[in-house]
Amino acid sequence: MGKLTRPVYLLGAGCTKFGNLLETPEIKGLSIYELAAQAARRALEDAKTDPREIDAFIIGNHMPQSLNMGSLYSQFTKWIGMEHKAGVQVAAACSTTNAAATMAASQIAAGVYRKVLVVGVEATQNNPKGPFPYGREPITSENMWMWTDYGVNQAYGVPQGYDIFPVYNGLMALAYRRKYGLTQEEFDRGMMELCRTKRLHGSLTPNAILQETLEEEAKRLGFTDLYEFWTSPHNPYIAYPTRLRSLVTAADGASAMVLSDADGAREYDGMPIELLGWGISVGDLPWYQEDGTTFPADVIAFREAYEMADIRPEQIGYLHTHDCSHISGLTNAELSGYLPEGKGLMYAAEGRLRFDGDRPMSTHGGRHAFGHAWAASAGADTLEAMDQIRGRAGKKQIPTPPQIAVVHTHGYAMISTVLVLRGGM
Amino acid sequence: MTTSVIKRYYDGLAEGTIQATKCPTCDTVTFPPTTACEKCGSFEVEWVELSGKGALEYVSHGAAPPPNPAFNDLAPYSYGHVRLDEGVYVQGIVTNVEPTPTALEELFQRGPVPVEADIIDVGGLPVLAFKVV
Repeated sequence: MGKLTRPVYLLGAGCTKFGNLLETPEIKGLSIYELAAQAARRALEDAKTDPREIDAFIIGNHMPQSLNMGSLYSQFTKWIGMEHKAGVQVAAACSTTNAAATMAASQIAAGVYRKVLVVGVEATQNNPKGPFPYGREPITSENMWMWTDYGVNQAYGVPQGYDIFPVYNGLMALAYRRKYGLTQEEFDRGMMELCRTKRLHGSLTPNAILQETLEEEAKRLGFTDLYEFWTSPHNPYIAYPTRLRSLVTAADGASAMVLSDADGAREYDGMPIELLGWGISVGDLPWYQEDGTTFPADVIAFREAYEMADIRPEQIGYLHTHDCSHISGLTNAELSGYLPEGKGLMYAAEGRLRFDGDRPMSTHGGRHAFGHAWAASAGADTLEAMDQIRGRAGKKQIPTPPQIAVVHTHGYAMISTVLVLRGGM
Repeated sequence: MTTSVIKRYYDGLAEGTIQATKCPTCDTVTFPPTTACEKCGSFEVEWVELSGKGALEYVSHGAAPPPNPAFNDLAPYSYGHVRLDEGVYVQGIVTNVEPTPTALEELFQRGPVPVEADIIDVGGLPVLAFKVV
């Protein structure tokens, strides 16, 4: 891996409310075009950048079946103010926007472009309704997963019974339990605490799909004991030993960001965020081998990101790891060096992963509480990291804003992407 | 007339054999088989046959309906992480473990247990599954 020959900065980012285009008031009734436009506009306004200053844009999506479209570059160009710019569509599933940011950064560092807009858009809850380009209708969970799984090994994996829930959750959880000698109750209690942290963060984040804390939900359903609720039929095993509330909450949403060279950053009157480095590694099934808690692709991505950015784990003040599987998010936090190996659940129970703890993580709520709109999510993760560094994360602001943040995402299936961000020039 | 690697693999399964590719340069077995060595990237690979025997490291389960509708009639089913005797890791359906927390926890407590291939038919396609022996 080489290093950037010129510095690259994130000037702005934006995202929509994550929810359902058919139900969620903030986005209800929007078309997919308007959803992307809302995120792009917010990113451009945050970057204080006129669309005419953008030289190129990259737009991405994972699941075209819910849009009934391809060639997003031309189909969206007049909606996001990018007509006649250089534009391209990329796909890296749930890493799309962050992987696109690394491509934009390479173009900027090469001196080809000065400012680049990145956009990710996804609908996981609905698709076009009949012949009406303004109408949408719900899609079934079965269709959503079948279409999502087009990103998974179609020669052997999917045709032979692959299922995301045991592969990305249950088997990894069993491997973690064995590696660290955890009973099922110890594991269950730890995962409950981890979920409690995510839900707290979601409740403090206006754009999150789940606004209710875990305690509030338990109370609403008639429980006074949180663990009794956690182990009740309201929270069944989806892939033993993993329960429903340790999993993703699928959503519709869009995100965007503006990247710039140093001249653009100097002209910006806010705090530019430097993209210090990144690591990307892809791997096909099986994602893990002898150690069921560790993907070789993640090992490579973190190592290369740290080398490129020239940082050590001790310098990280905020971490997001891809957590549409809470156990995978936890194992990657330990792999990153941000949490000690085998201690992640204990740290969650002690409140150390909260925004006001000493190892704050995923302060927007992560993929369970913030929600997950596949190709749009990585941009929302990066936006949260930028907000924390800039000290504008609202009610869940880390008391002492971090200087360095690391954002890790998994793009199905599987592209591990790690970005290292630092505030200022 | 050429034969796709994928078709040769499934034809082999239908006949009860489990085929992989092996790199003569670095000796790495790529399974399921592809056109290139998964370690060094060489396109010069050879066909080898695997035993189908190994150890079930972990077994979890998936809920019904499954993501792939071809498996609707089989779901819910147990799904495991297997180390084959040749050192290759593979994941697949485990046919003789009930997909219940009690049965799955019991297998977990036993630790890795021996398994062998149990090739099943799903909608006309032979599928590599495993059974505890």
